[in-house]
Amino acid sequence: MTPPPPAISVHGLRKRYGNVEAVSEVSFEVAPGEILGLIGPNGAGKTTTLECLLGLRAPDEGEIRILGIDARTRPDEVRELVGAQLQVSALPDAMTPRQALKLCGAFYGTPADPEALLRAFDLAERADSPFSSLSAGQARRLALALAFVNDPQVVVLDEPSAGLDPASRRDLHRLIAAQRSARRAVVFTTHFLEEARSLCDRIGLLDRGRLVALGTPHELMAGSEIRPRLVVETRPPLGRDDLARLAGVSRCDPEGAGWSLETESISRTLAALAALAEAAGSELTEVRLRKPTLDDLFFELTSHSAAEGDPA
Amino acid sequence: MIRGFLYHLQLTLRLNFRSRQALVYGYLVPVFFLLAFGTMFRNGDPPLLHQMSQLLTISVLGGACFGLPTALVSERERGLWRRFKLLPRALVPLLASTLLARIVLVAGACVLQIVLARWIYGTPFPRHPWVLAEGFAAVSAAFLGMGLVVAALADDVPAVQALGQCLFLPLIMIGGVGVPLLALPAWAQRLASFFPGRYAVEALQAGYSPGFAAGRLAFNLEALLLFAAAAGAAGARLFRWDSAARTGRAARLWIAAAVVPWLAVGAFSLSTERWQALDPADSAAAITSAELNAISFDQLPPDDGVVTPIAPPDFSAGLSPADKARLDAIAINLGTWAPANDSDPSQSIRALLNVAAVADVAEDRLEGPIARTILDLLFVRYRRADLVRGLAWIALRPDEGEVRGSVAEVGVPGRIDPKEARARSAIYAVKFLGRIRGRIPE
Repeated sequence: MTPPPPAISVHGLRKRYGNVEAVSEVSFEVAPGEILGLIGPNGAGKTTTLECLLGLRAPDEGEIRILGIDARTRPDEVRELVGAQLQVSALPDAMTPRQALKLCGAFYGTPADPEALLRAFDLAERADSPFSSLSAGQARRLALALAFVNDPQVVVLDEPSAGLDPASRRDLHRLIAAQRSARRAVVFTTHFLEEARSLCDRIGLLDRGRLVALGTPHELMAGSEIRPRLVVETRPPLGRDDLARLAGVSRCDPEGAGWSLETESISRTLAALAALAEAAGSELTEVRLRKPTLDDLFFELTSHSAAEGDPA
Repeated sequence: MIRGFLYHLQLTLRLNFRSRQALVYGYLVPVFFLLAFGTMFRNGDPPLLHQMSQLLTISVLGGACFGLPTALVSERERGLWRRFKLLPRALVPLLASTLLARIVLVAGACVLQIVLARWIYGTPFPRHPWVLAEGFAAVSAAFLGMGLVVAALADDVPAVQALGQCLFLPLIMIGGVGVPLLALPAWAQRLASFFPGRYAVEALQAGYSPGFAAGRLAFNLEALLLFAAAAGAAGARLFRWDSAARTGRAARLWIAAAVVPWLAVGAFSLSTERWQALDPADSAAAITSAELNAISFDQLPPDDGVVTPIAPPDFSAGLSPADKARLDAIAINLGTWAPANDSDPSQSIRALLNVAAVADVAEDRLEGPIARTILDLLFVRYRRADLVRGLAWIALRPDEGEVRGSVAEVGVPGRIDPKEARARSAIYAVKFLGRIRGRIPE
């Protein structure tokens, strides 16, 4: 018996805009019930990847399948299965949330109940209000509700938490997490690394159109070459040169009132630090261990972008 | 898909009536044009009758050049069409419902103009509502196709205004839409043949003319449908759902494909003398001199025969006083009979020949004298040029204009098949024409 196809399968995706390669050789799969977050700096190719996935852009190369269906040759079948929220998608000023849900639902065979969606996305009280009168958060929730209007098996969200207040963002996180139990595959882009770490089963890091890292948050950190740091404060202060020569220390940077020591061996550096302080008559007033975070990984892998500028 | 189409159609119409801007441009501006035309042409008889087609064309043109593309482009700028693109099998029905909604909205503005013109100026309602509806459908299709092209080419709403004016102003000024063709010099009338506006005006005017030129109407409708097919195909092919997308080089070919029919129809009009402006008050205006000269006077039924008899000029000598009195009564009745006093001289002539035709087919005892009475009346009432053109129209276009199966109110009893009345009127027209042009001796 052949295993069921992945909910999303992307292989060798390429997309160019003129001379700029916005997406290059991107490949990933998402299983039913899995949540994949795509992170990366502006212009990394996150939105282009999603737009290719949704059929809004024609890839130059590569294969995209949704539940085994070729998205390039059978786009309408794929659209039946996919719910999506775009970054920018305003409605006519006078259109109400109820009308928008009914309109979009009218193109599906078995649309979700608009009233249930209005309740689920906390829009019931504004169901008949013109779009122009909705707050930014309400408009964003309506865009999200529209992504579920066809009871989709695959959900694609482009920066869904942008513009949401903390309470709305918390509700959004619950909603995304709840898709696991509904066996829906979710792909979303975000600039919030903590959001990606806490919500995603796997994270893909895009940089300059390439998928430079893909795995669970744990796998990404385990595979990283970023070393832990010891943040040290002493009284009287120890000199930089002494600290930089400590056993295991590969780098010493000022941080606050003390120093941040990048180390290859926490225990050796700690022992050497204690001995140095004792010998110098200095008191260790603070010693903190800082393990590498997703933020560190992000900046490590994408630092050249900031230095060289975004490609697109 | 059908459900989506219908819901979007209904929603578009509802939302339109909630938009103050749409109401102003869609309804107040057409009313403004009506009042402006009314100020200029209120002394017509009846007022505005021959300007209604221009007014209606302006309304459709405004909806096509500005209303439709502004709505499409602003929705595209807001990302609405990107959202629609995510729906399965939705773009075509959504675009179709957008177009249909625009036609309904423009039709509403036209009905408003027709009703207000009647109410304010006493302009008659269209004489042939179905002909007007047919013309409106063709004009809407042609102009909305152009609107689709404008929407595809314009990157933003200000660009719609600029591109729309590039179409709107030439059509208004020298295209026969705003300034009547008859008021333009011959070179401008020739130039107007290359714009769709004049065909639109003529097609719509047929709904108001008492006896519209069916041949000319068919040509106008065919031209408009050709414009609609070309512009619609180009507009649909160039349609952009994404504001970030830009039209490529192939767009030039599609624009050329939309404009080539204008040139082709214009060239055809010039080569067939159709470039000359029609007098909207005269159904026979479309008759060309070539057609007139081609009329044959051979093989006509004899005047003393059964079909289309005409009494000799001195016929009254042999009539009884009662018959003379009856003929006098018929002549008096014809003087006040409304169909014989139509503002369209050619239609009036057709109505008079209609009386002779009824007398002929109904085998009225005085059929020959009645025909002679009518011939005499024609000579008295009409200038020779008008009479020639009107008779030629009846002879060459027997199916145009209005005829009756019964004219008992003028004193000629009997009821005949209107088709028969048309056929006999055509023969009488040739016989009368032959006499006027000296081709048939008395």
